[in-house]
Amino acid sequence: MTFRDIPDLALADLDRDGAIREAVDRLERSSRSGFLSAAAGGMAAAMALGRPTPAAAALTRGDSAILNYALTLEYLQDAFYTEAERKGALAGPAARLTRVVGAVERAHVKALREVLGRKAVKRPFFDFRGVTEDPPSFVRTAVAFEDLGTAAYKGQAHRIESREVLAAAVGIHSVEARHAAWIRYIAGSAPAAEAFDEGTTKAETLRLVRATGFVVARPRTTVAKTPSFTG
Amino acid sequence: MAGIPGLRPVDDPASRDRFLMRAFVAGGTLLAGGALVAGLPRLAASAQSPARDAEIFNFALLLEQLQAAFYGEAAERAELDAELLGFAKVVAEHEREHVAYLQTALGSAAREEPRTDFGDATTDPEAFAAAAITLEDLAVAAYNGQAANLTKDGLRAAATVVSVHARHAAWIRSIVGMPPASQPVDQPLSQAEVAARLEESGFLQEA
Repeated sequence: MTFRDIPDLALADLDRDGAIREAVDRLERSSRSGFLSAAAGGMAAAMALGRPTPAAAALTRGDSAILNYALTLEYLQDAFYTEAERKGALAGPAARLTRVVGAVERAHVKALREVLGRKAVKRPFFDFRGVTEDPPSFVRTAVAFEDLGTAAYKGQAHRIESREVLAAAVGIHSVEARHAAWIRYIAGSAPAAEAFDEGTTKAETLRLVRATGFVVARPRTTVAKTPSFTG
Repeated sequence: MAGIPGLRPVDDPASRDRFLMRAFVAGGTLLAGGALVAGLPRLAASAQSPARDAEIFNFALLLEQLQAAFYGEAAERAELDAELLGFAKVVAEHEREHVAYLQTALGSAAREEPRTDFGDATTDPEAFAAAAITLEDLAVAAYNGQAANLTKDGLRAAATVVSVHARHAAWIRSIVGMPPASQPVDQPLSQAEVAARLEESGFLQEA
Protein backbone atom coordinates (compact mmCIF):
# COMPACT_ATOMS: atom_id res chain seq x y z
CA MET A 1 0.00 0.00 0.00
CA THR A 2 1.33 3.40 -0.84
CA PHE A 3 0.28 6.60 0.77
CA ARG A 4 0.61 10.04 -0.58
CA ASP A 5 1.47 12.94 1.60
CA ILE A 6 -1.21 15.34 2.59
CA PRO A 7 -0.26 18.97 2.32
CA ASP A 8 -0.60 20.76 5.61
CA LEU A 9 -3.42 23.15 6.28
CA ALA A 10 -2.50 26.55 4.98
CA LEU A 11 -2.57 28.10 8.39
CA ALA A 12 -0.65 31.27 7.88
CA ASP A 13 -2.83 32.79 5.21
CA LEU A 14 -6.02 32.09 7.11
CA ASP A 15 -5.12 33.92 10.28
CA ARG A 16 -7.54 36.50 11.54
CA ASP A 17 -8.35 38.40 14.70
CA GLY A 18 -7.24 35.85 17.27
CA ALA A 19 -10.88 35.15 17.93
CA ILE A 20 -10.28 31.80 19.52
CA ARG A 21 -8.18 33.61 22.09
CA GLU A 22 -11.26 35.59 23.02
CA ALA A 23 -13.24 32.39 23.23
CA VAL A 24 -10.68 30.87 25.51
CA ASP A 25 -10.42 33.94 27.69
CA ARG A 26 -14.17 33.90 27.99
CA LEU A 27 -14.07 30.24 28.76
CA GLU A 28 -11.59 30.76 31.54
CA ARG A 29 -13.49 33.72 32.96
CA SER A 30 -16.71 31.79 32.90
CA SER A 31 -15.26 28.80 34.67
CA ARG A 32 -13.65 31.03 37.29
CA SER A 33 -16.83 32.91 37.97
CA GLY A 34 -19.23 30.02 37.64
CA PHE A 35 -20.36 29.86 41.24
CA LEU A 36 -23.14 27.48 40.41
CA SER A 37 -21.57 24.10 40.45
CA ALA A 38 -22.03 22.23 37.26
CA ALA A 39 -23.16 19.35 39.35
CA ALA A 40 -24.05 18.13 35.99
CA GLY A 41 -25.76 14.96 37.00
CA GLY A 42 -22.37 13.33 37.10
CA MET A 43 -21.78 12.67 33.50
CA ALA A 44 -25.00 13.74 31.94
CA ALA A 45 -22.82 12.92 29.02
CA ALA A 46 -23.49 9.51 30.19
CA MET A 47 -26.96 9.55 28.77
CA ALA A 48 -25.90 10.79 25.40
CA LEU A 49 -22.90 8.55 25.45
CA GLY A 50 -24.70 5.50 26.65
CA ARG A 51 -22.83 4.86 29.85
CA PRO A 52 -24.24 4.54 33.33
CA THR A 53 -24.84 7.86 35.00
CA PRO A 54 -23.04 8.35 38.27
CA ALA A 55 -24.73 10.40 40.95
CA ALA A 56 -24.35 14.12 40.68
CA ALA A 57 -20.70 14.91 40.93
CA ALA A 58 -19.60 18.49 41.16
CA LEU A 59 -16.90 19.30 38.69
CA THR A 60 -13.67 20.69 40.00
CA ARG A 61 -12.52 23.96 38.54
CA GLY A 62 -9.74 22.19 36.72
CA ASP A 63 -12.06 19.61 35.19
CA SER A 64 -14.48 22.35 34.13
CA ALA A 65 -11.71 24.18 32.33
CA ILE A 66 -10.62 21.00 30.58
CA LEU A 67 -14.15 20.12 29.55
CA ASN A 68 -14.73 23.62 28.24
CA TYR A 69 -11.54 23.39 26.24
CA ALA A 70 -12.79 20.07 24.85
CA LEU A 71 -16.17 21.65 24.16
CA THR A 72 -14.52 24.42 22.16
CA LEU A 73 -12.87 21.84 19.92
CA GLU A 74 -16.07 19.84 19.62
CA TYR A 75 -17.97 22.99 18.61
CA LEU A 76 -15.42 23.48 15.87
CA GLN A 77 -15.79 19.92 14.59
CA ASP A 78 -19.56 19.94 14.95
CA ALA A 79 -19.86 23.17 12.95
CA PHE A 80 -17.46 21.93 10.30
CA TYR A 81 -19.22 18.63 9.56
CA THR A 82 -22.70 20.05 9.99
CA GLU A 83 -21.96 22.79 7.47
CA ALA A 84 -20.37 20.32 5.06
CA GLU A 85 -23.44 18.10 5.23
CA ARG A 86 -25.75 21.08 4.71
CA LYS A 87 -23.80 22.37 1.71
CA GLY A 88 -23.96 18.93 0.12
CA ALA A 89 -20.85 19.31 -2.03
CA LEU A 90 -19.30 16.05 -0.89
CA ALA A 91 -19.98 12.63 -2.37
CA GLY A 92 -19.11 9.00 -1.72
CA PRO A 93 -16.97 8.07 1.28
CA ALA A 94 -16.39 11.67 2.37
CA ALA A 95 -20.14 12.32 2.42
CA ARG A 96 -20.75 9.17 4.48
CA LEU A 97 -18.01 10.13 6.91
CA THR A 98 -19.48 13.60 7.22
CA ARG A 99 -22.89 12.26 8.17
CA VAL A 100 -21.59 9.79 10.73
CA VAL A 101 -18.82 11.87 12.24
CA GLY A 102 -21.02 14.96 12.28
CA ALA A 103 -23.60 13.11 14.33
CA VAL A 104 -20.91 11.90 16.72
CA GLU A 105 -19.41 15.37 17.18
CA ARG A 106 -22.88 16.81 17.83
CA ALA A 107 -23.35 14.12 20.47
CA HIS A 108 -20.04 15.14 22.05
CA VAL A 109 -21.14 18.77 22.14
CA LYS A 110 -24.47 17.87 23.67
CA ALA A 111 -22.87 15.65 26.28
CA LEU A 112 -20.23 18.17 27.27
CA ARG A 113 -22.80 20.96 27.49
CA GLU A 114 -24.99 18.83 29.73
CA VAL A 115 -22.11 17.99 32.00
CA LEU A 116 -20.94 21.59 32.21
CA GLY A 117 -24.42 23.04 32.61
CA ARG A 118 -24.19 26.77 33.17
CA LYS A 119 -20.42 26.62 33.06
CA ALA A 120 -20.47 25.64 29.42
CA VAL A 121 -18.65 28.06 27.17
CA LYS A 122 -20.86 29.47 24.46
CA ARG A 123 -20.67 28.33 20.89
CA PRO A 124 -18.29 30.52 18.90
CA PHE A 125 -19.03 31.71 15.38
CA PHE A 126 -17.27 29.97 12.55
CA ASP A 127 -16.37 30.86 9.02
CA PHE A 128 -14.89 27.96 7.09
CA ARG A 129 -14.31 30.06 3.99
CA GLY A 130 -15.53 27.58 1.46
CA VAL A 131 -13.54 24.65 2.84
CA THR A 132 -16.73 22.66 3.48
CA GLU A 133 -17.69 22.98 -0.18
CA ASP A 134 -14.36 22.00 -1.69
CA PRO A 135 -13.78 18.26 -1.31
CA PRO A 136 -9.96 18.28 -1.34
CA SER A 137 -9.81 21.14 1.19
CA PHE A 138 -12.49 19.49 3.27
CA VAL A 139 -10.56 16.25 3.50
CA ARG A 140 -7.28 17.95 4.38
CA THR A 141 -8.95 20.01 7.05
CA ALA A 142 -10.84 17.05 8.49
CA VAL A 143 -7.57 15.13 8.81
CA ALA A 144 -6.06 18.06 10.68
CA PHE A 145 -9.10 18.46 12.95
CA GLU A 146 -9.29 14.79 13.89
CA ASP A 147 -5.56 14.43 14.48
CA LEU A 148 -5.69 17.58 16.55
CA GLY A 149 -8.75 16.43 18.49
CA THR A 150 -6.99 13.17 19.32
CA ALA A 151 -3.84 14.96 20.40
CA ALA A 152 -5.75 17.52 22.43
CA TYR A 153 -7.71 14.97 24.48
CA LYS A 154 -4.51 12.98 24.95
CA GLY A 155 -2.73 16.04 26.27
CA GLN A 156 -5.37 16.54 28.97
CA ALA A 157 -6.14 13.00 30.14
CA HIS A 158 -3.60 12.95 32.96
CA ARG A 159 -4.82 16.32 34.25
CA ILE A 160 -8.41 15.19 34.79
CA GLU A 161 -9.37 14.73 38.43
CA SER A 162 -12.74 12.96 38.33
CA ARG A 163 -12.77 9.27 37.46
CA GLU A 164 -16.11 9.70 35.68
CA VAL A 165 -14.88 12.60 33.59
CA LEU A 166 -11.71 10.69 32.80
CA ALA A 167 -13.67 7.61 31.72
CA ALA A 168 -15.71 9.71 29.31
CA ALA A 169 -12.71 11.64 28.04
CA VAL A 170 -10.64 8.57 27.21
CA GLY A 171 -13.66 7.04 25.48
CA ILE A 172 -13.99 10.15 23.33
CA HIS A 173 -10.23 10.33 22.77
CA SER A 174 -10.12 6.94 21.09
CA VAL A 175 -13.18 7.77 18.99
CA GLU A 176 -11.39 10.87 17.67
CA ALA A 177 -8.48 8.61 16.75
CA ARG A 178 -10.87 6.32 14.86
CA HIS A 179 -12.18 9.35 12.98
CA ALA A 180 -8.63 10.45 12.19
CA ALA A 181 -7.79 7.05 10.72
CA TRP A 182 -11.04 6.95 8.77
CA ILE A 183 -10.59 10.32 7.09
CA ARG A 184 -6.92 9.59 6.48
CA TYR A 185 -7.89 6.39 4.71
CA ILE A 186 -10.26 8.37 2.51
CA ALA A 187 -7.50 10.90 1.88
CA GLY A 188 -5.05 8.17 0.88
CA SER A 189 -2.84 9.06 3.82
CA ALA A 190 -1.41 6.63 6.38
CA PRO A 191 -4.24 5.99 8.90
CA ALA A 192 -1.70 5.13 11.58
CA ALA A 193 1.62 6.67 10.68
CA GLU A 194 3.47 5.98 13.91
CA ALA A 195 3.49 3.38 16.67
CA PHE A 196 2.94 6.10 19.29
CA ASP A 197 0.62 9.12 19.09
CA GLU A 198 1.77 12.18 20.97
CA GLY A 199 -0.45 14.75 22.66
CA THR A 200 -0.59 18.50 22.39
CA THR A 201 -0.79 21.06 25.14
CA LYS A 202 -3.74 23.40 25.33
CA ALA A 203 -1.55 26.31 24.25
CA GLU A 204 -0.30 24.45 21.18
CA THR A 205 -3.77 23.30 20.24
CA LEU A 206 -5.30 26.74 20.55
CA ARG A 207 -2.46 28.34 18.63
CA LEU A 208 -3.20 25.97 15.75
CA VAL A 209 -6.93 26.52 15.91
CA ARG A 210 -6.45 30.27 16.05
CA ALA A 211 -4.15 30.11 13.06
CA THR A 212 -6.86 28.55 10.92
CA GLY A 213 -8.95 31.71 11.20
CA PHE A 214 -12.05 29.54 11.25
CA VAL A 215 -13.24 31.01 14.53
CA VAL A 216 -14.60 34.49 14.02
CA ALA A 217 -15.90 37.21 16.27
CA ARG A 218 -19.32 37.43 14.67
CA PRO A 219 -21.43 35.66 12.11
CA ARG A 220 -20.32 36.23 8.57
CA THR A 221 -23.72 37.17 7.23
CA THR A 222 -25.28 38.95 10.17
CA VAL A 223 -24.32 42.23 11.71
CA ALA A 224 -23.93 41.66 15.40
CA LYS A 225 -25.51 44.28 17.62
CA THR A 226 -22.73 44.16 20.11
CA PRO A 227 -19.07 44.07 19.26
CA SER A 228 -18.21 41.69 22.04
CA PHE A 229 -17.67 38.01 21.48
CA THR A 230 -20.84 36.51 22.79
CA GLY A 231 -21.40 33.31 20.86
CA MET B 1 1.46 14.02 14.47
CA ALA B 2 1.61 14.04 10.73
CA GLY B 3 -0.94 16.27 9.14
CA ILE B 4 -0.78 19.05 11.68
CA PRO B 5 1.89 21.59 11.02
CA GLY B 6 4.07 22.77 13.81
CA LEU B 7 3.12 20.16 16.37
CA ARG B 8 5.84 19.01 18.66
CA PRO B 9 5.45 16.12 21.03
CA VAL B 10 4.58 17.16 24.53
CA ASP B 11 6.58 14.40 26.06
CA ASP B 12 9.21 12.94 23.85
CA PRO B 13 9.66 9.19 23.74
CA ALA B 14 12.89 9.44 25.69
CA SER B 15 11.23 11.04 28.68
CA ARG B 16 8.31 8.67 28.40
CA ASP B 17 10.73 5.78 28.58
CA ARG B 18 12.48 7.26 31.56
CA PHE B 19 9.18 7.59 33.34
CA LEU B 20 8.16 4.02 32.70
CA MET B 21 11.52 2.73 33.79
CA ARG B 22 11.17 4.56 37.06
CA ALA B 23 7.63 3.37 37.52
CA PHE B 24 8.43 -0.24 36.91
CA VAL B 25 11.62 -0.33 38.89
CA ALA B 26 9.59 1.01 41.76
CA GLY B 27 6.95 -1.61 41.07
CA GLY B 28 9.40 -4.43 41.46
CA THR B 29 8.83 -7.88 40.08
CA LEU B 30 5.24 -8.70 39.53
CA LEU B 31 3.79 -11.25 37.27
CA ALA B 32 6.55 -12.72 35.22
CA GLY B 33 5.64 -15.46 32.82
CA GLY B 34 2.31 -17.20 32.89
CA ALA B 35 0.83 -16.06 29.62
CA LEU B 36 -2.47 -17.80 29.97
CA VAL B 37 -5.45 -15.76 30.82
CA ALA B 38 -6.53 -18.23 33.44
CA GLY B 39 -3.33 -17.52 35.30
CA LEU B 40 -3.81 -13.80 35.49
CA PRO B 41 -3.87 -12.33 38.95
CA ARG B 42 -6.81 -10.17 39.82
CA LEU B 43 -6.03 -6.54 40.31
CA ALA B 44 -6.43 -5.40 43.83
CA ALA B 45 -8.80 -2.51 44.29
CA SER B 46 -6.02 -0.23 45.36
CA ALA B 47 -5.08 3.34 44.68
CA GLN B 48 -2.87 4.20 41.76
CA SER B 49 0.76 3.33 42.27
CA PRO B 50 3.80 2.45 40.21
CA ALA B 51 3.31 -1.16 41.27
CA ARG B 52 -0.22 -1.14 39.98
CA ASP B 53 0.92 0.51 36.76
CA ALA B 54 3.28 -2.41 36.29
CA GLU B 55 0.47 -4.93 36.78
CA ILE B 56 -1.70 -3.10 34.29
CA PHE B 57 1.04 -2.76 31.71
CA ASN B 58 2.04 -6.38 32.10
CA PHE B 59 -1.49 -7.35 31.19
CA ALA B 60 -1.40 -4.88 28.29
CA LEU B 61 1.85 -6.54 27.21
CA LEU B 62 -0.04 -9.79 26.68
CA LEU B 63 -2.40 -8.03 24.28
CA GLU B 64 0.48 -6.41 22.46
CA GLN B 65 2.38 -9.69 22.21
CA LEU B 66 -0.69 -11.44 20.87
CA GLN B 67 -1.16 -8.74 18.24
CA ALA B 68 2.50 -8.69 17.28
CA ALA B 69 2.37 -12.47 16.80
CA PHE B 70 -0.86 -12.24 14.82
CA TYR B 71 0.24 -9.58 12.37
CA GLY B 72 3.76 -10.97 12.20
CA GLU B 73 2.41 -14.36 11.17
CA ALA B 74 0.09 -12.79 8.60
CA ALA B 75 2.99 -10.81 7.14
CA GLU B 76 5.23 -13.87 7.04
CA ARG B 77 2.71 -16.19 5.43
CA ALA B 78 1.86 -13.44 2.93
CA GLU B 79 -1.31 -15.05 1.61
CA LEU B 80 -3.55 -12.01 2.09
CA ASP B 81 -4.27 -9.61 -0.74
CA ALA B 82 -2.03 -6.62 -1.21
CA GLU B 83 -4.01 -4.12 0.83
CA LEU B 84 -4.57 -6.42 3.81
CA LEU B 85 -0.96 -7.54 3.67
CA GLY B 86 0.22 -3.94 3.61
CA PHE B 87 -1.93 -3.24 6.65
CA ALA B 88 -0.58 -6.32 8.44
CA LYS B 89 3.02 -5.32 7.81
CA VAL B 90 2.63 -1.76 9.07
CA VAL B 91 0.61 -2.76 12.10
CA ALA B 92 2.97 -5.65 12.92
CA GLU B 93 5.76 -3.12 13.21
CA HIS B 94 3.69 -0.91 15.51
CA GLU B 95 2.83 -3.84 17.75
CA ARG B 96 6.46 -4.94 17.91
CA GLU B 97 7.35 -1.41 19.01
CA HIS B 98 4.66 -1.53 21.69
CA VAL B 99 5.94 -4.90 22.91
CA ALA B 100 9.54 -3.72 23.00
CA TYR B 101 8.55 -0.56 24.82
CA LEU B 102 6.63 -2.41 27.51
CA GLN B 103 9.23 -5.14 27.85
CA THR B 104 11.97 -2.61 28.35
CA ALA B 105 9.89 -0.70 30.85
CA LEU B 106 8.91 -3.83 32.79
CA GLY B 107 12.38 -5.33 32.75
CA SER B 108 12.60 -8.69 34.45
CA ALA B 109 8.95 -8.47 35.46
CA ALA B 110 7.83 -8.62 31.84
CA ARG B 111 5.75 -11.68 31.07
CA GLU B 112 7.01 -14.27 28.62
CA GLU B 113 5.78 -14.50 25.07
CA PRO B 114 2.47 -16.38 24.90
CA ARG B 115 2.01 -19.43 22.72
CA THR B 116 -0.52 -18.64 20.04
CA ASP B 117 -2.66 -20.38 17.46
CA PHE B 118 -4.44 -18.21 14.95
CA GLY B 119 -5.72 -20.98 12.72
CA ASP B 120 -6.59 -19.58 9.32
CA ALA B 121 -7.00 -16.02 10.65
CA THR B 122 -3.59 -15.04 9.36
CA THR B 123 -4.31 -16.24 5.81
CA ASP B 124 -8.05 -16.07 5.18
CA PRO B 125 -9.08 -12.48 4.42
CA GLU B 126 -12.40 -12.54 6.25
CA ALA B 127 -11.02 -14.36 9.27
CA PHE B 128 -8.05 -12.00 9.32
CA ALA B 129 -10.20 -8.89 9.25
CA ALA B 130 -12.55 -10.22 11.91
CA ALA B 131 -9.64 -11.12 14.19
CA ALA B 132 -7.91 -7.79 13.63
CA ILE B 133 -11.08 -5.89 14.48
CA THR B 134 -11.59 -7.98 17.61
CA LEU B 135 -8.01 -7.57 18.81
CA GLU B 136 -7.80 -3.83 18.12
CA ASP B 137 -11.16 -3.05 19.71
CA LEU B 138 -10.15 -5.18 22.67
CA ALA B 139 -6.92 -3.26 23.11
CA VAL B 140 -8.76 0.08 23.00
CA ALA B 141 -11.29 -1.11 25.56
CA ALA B 142 -8.57 -2.60 27.77
CA TYR B 143 -6.43 0.54 27.92
CA ASN B 144 -9.47 2.77 28.33
CA GLY B 145 -10.76 0.52 31.10
CA GLN B 146 -7.57 1.00 33.10
CA ALA B 147 -7.20 4.76 32.58
CA ALA B 148 -8.49 5.67 36.02
CA ASN B 149 -6.35 3.01 37.69
CA LEU B 150 -3.06 4.31 36.31
CA THR B 151 -0.85 6.94 37.86
CA LYS B 152 -0.83 10.22 35.98
CA ASP B 153 2.46 9.31 34.36
CA GLY B 154 1.20 5.84 33.52
CA LEU B 155 -1.86 7.38 31.92
CA ARG B 156 0.30 9.66 29.80
CA ALA B 157 2.17 6.66 28.48
CA ALA B 158 -0.94 4.54 27.86
CA ALA B 159 -2.64 7.38 26.02
CA THR B 160 0.09 7.42 23.38
CA VAL B 161 -0.62 3.76 22.61
CA VAL B 162 -4.39 3.45 22.87
CA SER B 163 -5.18 5.88 20.07
CA VAL B 164 -2.88 3.97 17.73
CA HIS B 165 -4.96 0.86 18.36
CA ALA B 166 -8.07 2.91 17.67
CA ARG B 167 -6.51 4.01 14.39
CA HIS B 168 -5.75 0.39 13.49
CA ALA B 169 -9.34 -0.57 14.29
CA ALA B 170 -10.74 2.12 12.00
CA TRP B 171 -8.18 1.33 9.31
CA ILE B 172 -9.05 -2.36 9.02
CA ARG B 173 -12.76 -1.50 9.01
CA SER B 174 -12.14 0.97 6.20
CA ILE B 175 -10.36 -1.69 4.17
CA VAL B 176 -13.21 -4.17 4.46
CA GLY B 177 -15.93 -1.56 3.99
CA MET B 178 -17.31 -1.51 7.51
CA PRO B 179 -18.24 1.76 9.26
CA PRO B 180 -14.97 2.70 11.00
CA ALA B 181 -16.51 4.63 13.89
CA SER B 182 -20.18 5.06 14.58
CA GLN B 183 -20.33 5.27 18.38
CA PRO B 184 -19.77 8.57 20.20
CA VAL B 185 -17.66 6.95 22.88
CA ASP B 186 -15.63 3.77 23.16
CA GLN B 187 -16.87 1.59 25.98
CA PRO B 188 -14.17 0.41 28.39
CA LEU B 189 -13.75 -3.16 29.56
CA SER B 190 -12.43 -4.40 32.88
CA GLN B 191 -9.42 -6.65 32.94
CA ALA B 192 -11.66 -9.63 33.72
CA GLU B 193 -13.84 -8.84 30.72
CA VAL B 194 -10.82 -8.49 28.47
CA ALA B 195 -9.44 -11.77 29.78
CA ALA B 196 -12.72 -13.52 29.09
CA ARG B 197 -12.76 -12.26 25.51
CA LEU B 198 -9.18 -13.34 25.00
CA GLU B 199 -10.12 -16.83 26.12
CA GLU B 200 -13.10 -16.82 23.79
CA SER B 201 -10.84 -15.93 20.88
CA GLY B 202 -8.97 -19.21 21.25
CA PHE B 203 -5.77 -17.53 20.08
CA LEU B 204 -3.85 -18.23 23.28
CA GLN B 205 -2.51 -21.73 23.88
CA GLU B 206 -1.48 -23.53 27.02
CA ALA B 207 2.17 -22.86 27.71
